[in-house]
Formats: sequence, structure tokens, C-alpha cells
Amino acid sequence: MTGYTEKIREIAARLLTEKTVEMVIGFRKGTVPMMNEPYFVKNPLEAANLVWDSNCGINLTNYLTDRKEKIAVLAKGCDSRNIVTHIIENKVKREQLHIIGVPCQGMIDRHGISDRVDGEILKVVESDGRVVVSGRGFEQTFDKADVLQANCRLCIHRNPVIYDELVAEPVPEQQDVDRYVEERRIEAMDVQERWAYFDELLATCIRCYACRNACPLCYCPTCFVDESRPQWVGKSIDPIDTRTFHFLRAYHCAGRCTDCGACERACPMGINMRVFTRKLEKDCFELYGWEAGMSLDQRPPLDTYKLDDPEIFIK
Amino acid sequence: MAHMGVEPDRIQLSWVSSAESNKFVEVVKDVTASIKALGPNRNFVKTVAKVA
Amino acid sequence: MTFVKIDKNAWEAGLARLAAAYRLFGPVKEGHSHEFKALDAGQRPDMAYVNTRRSPKALIYPQSEKMFDFSLDETQADHHILREAEKDYAPCAVIGIRPCDADAFLLVRKNFDTPEYRDPYWVKAYEATTFVGLACSAPCSTCFCTTAGSGPFHEAGLDLLLADEGGTYLAKVLTPKGASLVEAAGWGDATDAQAAESRLQELRAAAEERIVSRVPTAKLKDQKINPLFEAPFWQEVAFSCINCGTCTYVCPTCWCFDIQDEVHGKEGIRYRNWDSCMYPLFTHHGSGHNPRNQKTQRVRQRFMHKLKYYVDKYGDGIQCVGCGRCIRLCPVNIDIRRVCNLMNHFDATACAIPAA
Repeated sequence: MTGYTEKIREIAARLLTEKTVEMVIGFRKGTVPMMNEPYFVKNPLEAANLVWDSNCGINLTNYLTDRKEKIAVLAKGCDSRNIVTHIIENKVKREQLHIIGVPCQGMIDRHGISDRVDGEILKVVESDGRVVVSGRGFEQTFDKADVLQANCRLCIHRNPVIYDELVAEPVPEQQDVDRYVEERRIEAMDVQERWAYFDELLATCIRCYACRNACPLCYCPTCFVDESRPQWVGKSIDPIDTRTFHFLRAYHCAGRCTDCGACERACPMGINMRVFTRKLEKDCFELYGWEAGMSLDQRPPLDTYKLDDPEIFIK
Repeated sequence: MAHMGVEPDRIQLSWVSSAESNKFVEVVKDVTASIKALGPNRNFVKTVAKVA
Repeated sequence: MTFVKIDKNAWEAGLARLAAAYRLFGPVKEGHSHEFKALDAGQRPDMAYVNTRRSPKALIYPQSEKMFDFSLDETQADHHILREAEKDYAPCAVIGIRPCDADAFLLVRKNFDTPEYRDPYWVKAYEATTFVGLACSAPCSTCFCTTAGSGPFHEAGLDLLLADEGGTYLAKVLTPKGASLVEAAGWGDATDAQAAESRLQELRAAAEERIVSRVPTAKLKDQKINPLFEAPFWQEVAFSCINCGTCTYVCPTCWCFDIQDEVHGKEGIRYRNWDSCMYPLFTHHGSGHNPRNQKTQRVRQRFMHKLKYYVDKYGDGIQCVGCGRCIRLCPVNIDIRRVCNLMNHFDATACAIPAA
């Protein structure tokens, strides 16, 4: 994805100068390694601050919800599918958006890389498919393919499905990707093993809601966990309440989640909570042939039915 | 739910119309029997919040 | 001040003796990072750690803490009466806490232990605890403790300060609690105080030399609140914020909590959870009005609280010890160093917005 930054700056400056849009939403360089900060630009001169690299894993669709301006937004494949869902769900209008599509070659896993290195990471440089991680007195090189975010490794929609212009030529989609290996592994466990697996997964959750807030789908004015009259879920770090938050949030994302990975990227504790949403994604795909956000013309799975919908789970 | 470690038979789905009283009785009997066979729910139980 | 040299061979034996007199807590590896945990018999604190992901504030002030319990069973004599929850304030010792985190407790104490209001849970837990600090010889790039009122060898909030000298720890006894702990551990190898103090200062200077992050705070006190509040940079600062609770939960000086009751059958508890000013419902009034229902208002509030209101109220510097956790863990990389810079240098009379 080299060269993307220059193109993005050029496009943003042009759109703002021609007043095609009022603001451009993208990223600016972060202050710590492997991080970029979501950023908006209104002045064409500030377009020079926009950057693009493999640390743009936060889903910018999150920043479109209920906005009224004319906005240009950078969108990878997964982000663009969330934009489709946002439009279908009336959180933003198509006419407001000038989607700058970014054919994506995958984001790197900041948690994964920190875990594999001993010592504070001071610099991460990417070039030619290699990621060089260095700190005081050490340097390690990884193949980008080895340190991709988990969701990027399994991605089959790297190119934007909706856009007004592209930053680069579409990239080849990954072939022969088995998306549900981990889900099948869990399905093969017995009840107690599964219970323990999820217990361990969520043991360090601090209920910060970074996962929920980074997710573009979670836009309820008051989330179910924040309700108190009635209180559906406890607000403490009680393990049952924590588990309830995660699986119930996954249910609310059923048929809508595009596996963008923003939730896992945002989590300060490095929890892989995509395990919840991916099971529901698998079910939607295998039962209904449904993939979220692929087209503006399709109604979501919980919205429609077909006469031949599978009913094996209904007695 | 089953994926998460709740026994598959603890949660069952059924379509019953208000005109299908016989079916309703059958479903209630069947579900009650299968839950009783599973025994008390041990995993997914919240009593008082586990706090410090 | 007395100094003691602790041979690392005597360290283990000392800890074992301490375990008889104190409940021990220390940094323990959890996955790929560290957290402060209660040490089981024979478990050792990992003194080679850098710092924990979450701050140790949970040792004194748990994230979810029972305050009262009650019975709703009307056959009970004390039904519907709040009973104080049974607590255990047996002596505790936290081994290996970093000076910034120990200092943070003092900042919180300013609010939790006043002549008017005293948080009995916090104060009792704090007073029952002896803090054995581990000075930082290799601060991180995100540590800005020296300009935040603390430092890698800062002594405030500690009862004993350990400096790692390879085969030994040079230990400075700072308080009577520290002295009692040293005695209980049997670490009695006293050493010349003057020589030890100069050695400590040497090590301190070397560590402080390695701090690369600094925040300018000199002009914060003189900033007028209203113009700073209305400054144009808040929109840009707040844009990326997703209003999660990460910064507040990992911060050692954030102190807000929410109290609620939970009932199960005929029993119930009244407990508190950490709360976050980042959440929309934080300022939701009973009337339904919410003075900070916009994200920008909440983000502004947090930085104003930490870097301005606290400065004005207590005259003791910012409500931050420079541990850097919020910088490293914020999902969208909002950087308090940047914001402090913007606030400190803000000039209400200038036309241009300060450069980002």
C-alpha cells in the first residue's frame, strides 16, 4: 500500500478545494508505533496530514453515524461494507458521502507483534512485505503475512464494494480462504470445554466498552448494558455479566458484522472477542447464504425471509 | 448459546400458533422433560454479583 | 533516612518471612504483560517487569467493590437495613510498585481523605498497605513522569524504595511502615547512609536522563478557565475519541465510581463500580437532562479536570503522574502529551490555532 498516502492527500485536497465535500475523514500519523489517529480535515492545506499504512485498522464508518455534512471518507473493503449497512439502516445518506475506496492488503496486528517481541517497541517500519520492529538494542523482521491482523488473514473482500473513487487499482482477493477453522474447532469441543474456553477468553475484560464503541454497528443512543430501568445486565466485572455483554452484543451485530477487526484492535487487553461474532457470521452464511453489506439492494437477514429458509433448529 | 457452552437442549425454538393447543402441550412437555434430564443449570447462573 | 542493602539471595527468604506478616501483592506475568496480583505461597513478584498494563489502583480500590449488603426477607430482624459488608483490612504489602503509581495514590488521597469527606473503604485499605517501590532504571518512551510531578526514583507515596544494583537492591527506608517491613523481612544489612544516598542520586540522574517525553505545564495555572474551555482545538482533539473507558480505567489517578444495588431473590448488595466520564450516561441527570451529552464536551472535561481544574483546586501540579498507560492503550491514539501542550500554550488572544 505504498503510494496510497500521496494519492489520498491529493484526492482530499482536491475534494475540499472544489468544495465537493465539507470534510474528509481519514487518519493522521500516531504518536506511538503501530497507531494512527482518526482525523478530519476541513481545510485543503491540512490534507497533507493524512496518512495511510497498515495501521489503519480502526473502522472509519464509526465516525459517520448521524452526521449531516457532506463527507469524504476513506474506506477499505470491510469499511465499505459497513457503509452499505449504515445506509440501509439510515445512519447516513448515500448522497452525503464521497467514498474514497482503498483496496486493502491487510492491517498488521499491533497486539500480536508486541506479544512476539521482548522489550519496548520504538519503531515499526514496513516495506516490501516485511515489517521491521525495533527498540532499544533489538530489531526483528517479520513477513507481513505472519503478522497480519487475524481478520485480515481471513479476508475475502479486500476491495471496496461501494466507492466514488479508488485510491489504487483493485487488489487480487485472497483465494481458498477457509474462514471458519477456529469456529469449527470450538464446535468440536464438548460443553464444559467450550464454557471454559469462553471463561478464559473473557477473564481479563474490564468492561471498558472499547470494542463496542469502535464498532460502527453499535450506535444505539443507550446501549443495553447502560440501561437501568430495567437493568438487563449487571455493570460489574462479574464473569456472567461480562459474558452476557459480549454474546448479547454479538447477537445485535448478527448478520451485520463485516469482521473488520476494529473491536479486537481497540481492546486494551488484547481479547479476541471476534469469536462471538464470527459464529453468528458463519451461521448467517451457511444457513442463509448471507454476507453483510455487499449490496445496497439487499435487505438484512433479520428483516426478510424466504420460503425455503432452513428451519432445522426449530422444533 | 450452544457455541458458548450452554447445553444445546437447554434452549429450544418452536413455532406454535395460538390455534395449535395440542402442539403447545406437546412442546411444553418435551422441553420440560429434556431440561429435567439435563439437570440444574450450573454454568450460566448469576446469583449475587461476584465483586470484591 | 536509613539504607539497607538486600542481597538478592536473601530476597527470597525475606519475602517468605514477609508472607507470614503481610498479604503480599506484586507484578505477575499474565499472558504477555503484567498485572498486580495477590501472591500465592511461594509465588514471587516479577521484579524484571517494566510496568503493568492496568494500574495497581485496583489493589486499594477494586473495580467492583461491595459496600453493604441487605436482606429483603421480612422474617429477618434486620430486613431492609443496610449492613456494612465484611471487609478484611489485614496488613498488605505491595512489592515492586513503580514510583509513579505509588505517587498516584497520594493524588487520589487528596480527594478521598479530606476533613469533610472520607472514603472509609479506600482509606482503610490504603492505610493497611505498605508500599515497596522499585525504582525505574529504564523508563519507557511514553513515560513523562519527571514533568508530571513524579519521576523514576520519586519517593512520595512509598514506604521503601528499592534500586536494582544487579546482585543487590539498595533499599531506602522512607517511613516507619517501611522500617517495620524491613525488620519483618529480616533484611538487616544496614549500609552507610551518606554513600548510599549519593549512589541513589547517581542512579536517579541516569534514569531521568533516559526520559524522552516531557509535558509543558508551567502555564496551566495561569490559563483563564473560560477561554481555555472555549478553545477551538477541542473539536479536533475529541474527534477520534470513541468514548470508551480505557483511559479512565487504566489511569492510576482516575477515581470516579458509580454506586448501585443488585438483588437476587431476597438478598442484595450495594456496591460500586468504576465509572468513566467518557461514558454518555456519566452526567445523565435524574431529570433526563445531560449537560455533557456530546462527545467533545466529555473529552474536554477529562483533560480540563486532569490538567486544569485539579491544578487550580489543589495547587500541586497536574492530576497525572506520567505513567503513559493512556497513551499506549487508547484505541485511537489520543495523546495526553499533545493535549497538555495545546492547553499549556493556548493563547486566547492569538488569531491562529496553535500547531498540532
